[in-house]
Amino acid sequence: MSSYIIRKFLMLIPMLLVISFLIYLGMELMPGDAVDFLIPPDALATMNQEQLHAMREALGLNDPFFLRYLKWLWGMLHGDFGYSMQSGVPVLTLMKNHLPATIELTVTALVMSSVFGIILGVVCALKKGTVADQILSMIGMIGVAVPQFLLGLICINGFSLHLNILPVGGRMAYAGQTFLERLPYLVMPAVVLGFSLTAGVMRYGRSSMLDSMGKDYMKTARSKGIPEWRVNFLHGLRTAMTPVVVLIGFRLPMLIGGAVVVEEIFQWPGIGGLFVAAVRSQNTPLVMIIGFFSVLLVLLASIIVDIITALLDPRIKLS
Amino acid sequence: MKKKRLIASLLAISVAIGLLTACGSGGSTSTTAEVTTAAEAGAADDTSAAQRTPETTDAGTPLADVRVRQALTMAIDIEAIVEGLFEGKAEVAKSFTAPGEWLNPQLADYSYNPERARELLKEANWPSDYTLDVVYYYDDQQTVDLMTVIGQYWQEVGVKAQFRKLEGDLAAQLWVPPADRLNGPSQVKWDLAYAAVAALAESEFYNRFASTASNNSTVPKQEGLDELITASNSTMDTAAQINAFFEIQKFVGENQLAIPLYHQVCFIYTSDKLDTAGSKFGNDQFSYEKNILDWKIDRTDKTLYTNGGPQEFFWYPMVNPGYMINTELVFDKLINADAELIPTDGMLAESYTVAADDKSIEFMLRDGLKWHDEQPLTPEDVKFTIELMLKAPGTNAVASEVMSAIAGATDFKEGKTDSLAGVIIDGNKITVNFDQVSANALAVFSQWPILPKHLLEHAVPETLQQDQFWQKPIGSGPFKVDEVILNNYATLKRWDGYYQEGTGNIETVHMFASGENDSNLVMNASAGNIDYAWSKSTDDAKAIETIEGMNSTPANIKYTRCFYVNQFPHEPNIK
Repeated sequence: MSSYIIRKFLMLIPMLLVISFLIYLGMELMPGDAVDFLIPPDALATMNQEQLHAMREALGLNDPFFLRYLKWLWGMLHGDFGYSMQSGVPVLTLMKNHLPATIELTVTALVMSSVFGIILGVVCALKKGTVADQILSMIGMIGVAVPQFLLGLICINGFSLHLNILPVGGRMAYAGQTFLERLPYLVMPAVVLGFSLTAGVMRYGRSSMLDSMGKDYMKTARSKGIPEWRVNFLHGLRTAMTPVVVLIGFRLPMLIGGAVVVEEIFQWPGIGGLFVAAVRSQNTPLVMIIGFFSVLLVLLASIIVDIITALLDPRIKLS
Repeated sequence: MKKKRLIASLLAISVAIGLLTACGSGGSTSTTAEVTTAAEAGAADDTSAAQRTPETTDAGTPLADVRVRQALTMAIDIEAIVEGLFEGKAEVAKSFTAPGEWLNPQLADYSYNPERARELLKEANWPSDYTLDVVYYYDDQQTVDLMTVIGQYWQEVGVKAQFRKLEGDLAAQLWVPPADRLNGPSQVKWDLAYAAVAALAESEFYNRFASTASNNSTVPKQEGLDELITASNSTMDTAAQINAFFEIQKFVGENQLAIPLYHQVCFIYTSDKLDTAGSKFGNDQFSYEKNILDWKIDRTDKTLYTNGGPQEFFWYPMVNPGYMINTELVFDKLINADAELIPTDGMLAESYTVAADDKSIEFMLRDGLKWHDEQPLTPEDVKFTIELMLKAPGTNAVASEVMSAIAGATDFKEGKTDSLAGVIIDGNKITVNFDQVSANALAVFSQWPILPKHLLEHAVPETLQQDQFWQKPIGSGPFKVDEVILNNYATLKRWDGYYQEGTGNIETVHMFASGENDSNLVMNASAGNIDYAWSKSTDDAKAIETIEGMNSTPANIKYTRCFYVNQFPHEPNIK
């Protein structure tokens, strides 16, 4: 197994290279460059080409594409991730400032959705066909179908503007923030994000649990006289979890870029908003680092999922 | 396992590409924003294209005929558009200049008259198979709606048009002038461009029609116009300026060198909790005296809530000195201005005198001025700021025109001298000498703030905005930057070192992060989290007017939306 993991990690290197190049290329193919977004369009009318050229020169935008990519790669390899084209702030600082907010939001939503999703999924499977199952399945469908922005706006309208019990958005308390002071700001975005994620886990959990409940080894376990809850939870749930874990595992990359919509609606100062702004303003160094880490997380998640499935299901061997 | 690995790689790649494209398509980078009115969609058939190909070789453009430009104007019922689309929250433009004492009352009348438009087009032999290529660069829905409506009006007089949104390097696509300013050919590839001019001074509307303007991509050299423009720029006397602009307006109007459409207004939103002590509201695109130190807020935390907090940085003021309220509160100018942006009394300068020949201004700085970091503010800072404005790209056109008129500016810009000869310091007195009279000098000194030399002297002018100073700037205004959480919020604290005290009670200004357009403004106002804000969006105004406890006051701004008409010879873009 260890040789498998080492091989997988070595595979990461060429893949990251190719993908980073693709992202850089994608940015290059978009019309315009960072300078076009530094000056508002109406003001551009009064600037001449020499001035714009000087700004591009100062930002290193006049170099050919491959040279810029290689410079970026060289910097990366030396731990220099570059500076934001817009603000001149090191992109690592920007990540450091925005990541905690996103992680706070996405971890809460992920944990919430995984726990509730698994519990409710199992309940549905065990109570298959009952009213409870049908109601939960329906809520699950709603969770999948209703877009996050709609749910978000409904919540803001209800809880903030009418009931006035939660703030409309943002993530703030005056200097010396504590988690408890921030909590009211977290509730709505985390619940909205969590709700749509729960539905998926729940439906996966239900069908996978149903699947494993019909398996022969369950009958064997029962015939051995093992109590029903032990049969369900130790034998049934463990194998049923495999596809659920795959699903949750592949949600890990969400930790970085997965909450764009929710962040926008709730004015949440996370990576999502930063990333959207960076793409729109052609801020290549910033897009590269966020894209790079998102991709890295996707690749890592796939390795982690492999390992966990092997641990969960004795029939899977990593080789 | 092989399959899984393949799936994982594919997933990673698709996430990477997906992230890029998903964000791109939502934003200003969309490449499919072409609007074609329903009726004309089928009109551009193959036969017309085939017929027209031969005539393109004789160059020229039907838009060079003034009758065509007049007809295009008269075909648009702009009054109906203002009433319908903008719900009356804009003003019909007869000229670039907004109604008032600066507008010539006797200008050519191009009110809606489709019959006359058809006649003019007929007289001008308008080629009926020609399709106008109309470009714009705003990404709001209102612009798309406006373009659609105008397309239909033109359709009614027999003019076909296609509209497309420009992406990327706008300056290169819109404003590059031809080498030959009389005969062209055109360096830009469109017939009409929908644009806006946000002017501090009238000259910003008209200087661009001069044959020497670096951004005149549309108007060939006109007999006598350059002289009129030069005359308007070389006097500081208001009456003489008004007369000069009357002449220019008449010339531009008679020849319909461009098509002014409407003047936009700005809306200033205040909450019932705020008492602005009778201050007059005005053009919030720029700075003017609001007497904020006298404002009273009915909140226990003595905090005024507003927007415009920094997303990635505090805006450097060279492009827009007064757009963000934080620039206005953190930085002081040499002179103050009133709500009409007319320079008034001194600010950092206790007094100022303009020489009899208008070619020099003396500023007398107040004693004991300080920066927020307690360093002294000296005439050296003033000189440094002027020099920086000459070197930083993006400095607003009016400001850079004034700065360039200072004696020795050319040598300084070209690096022949490392000190600007025209700015002379004598104790607390700063004298600025001009090579030629610069009409807007006082207006510029009332708008552009003085920056601290000790914190910015090592900044690279070309990348001034990227200097770390703008993460938490130090100024000399009535409020100083306190807490900054970028892209979230920032607070300003009343500064006890300011030269004035005021009678108000606002201790803190809390700014929610937002850019030029704040998409959260209405929501935050609904939640009672906005005491003062402004925007140009009629949608914002409509929504905020319905919120209890919020008020909206319209104010006139020199912001004119128009079509520039490409009169230089060019091949039809749509074949």
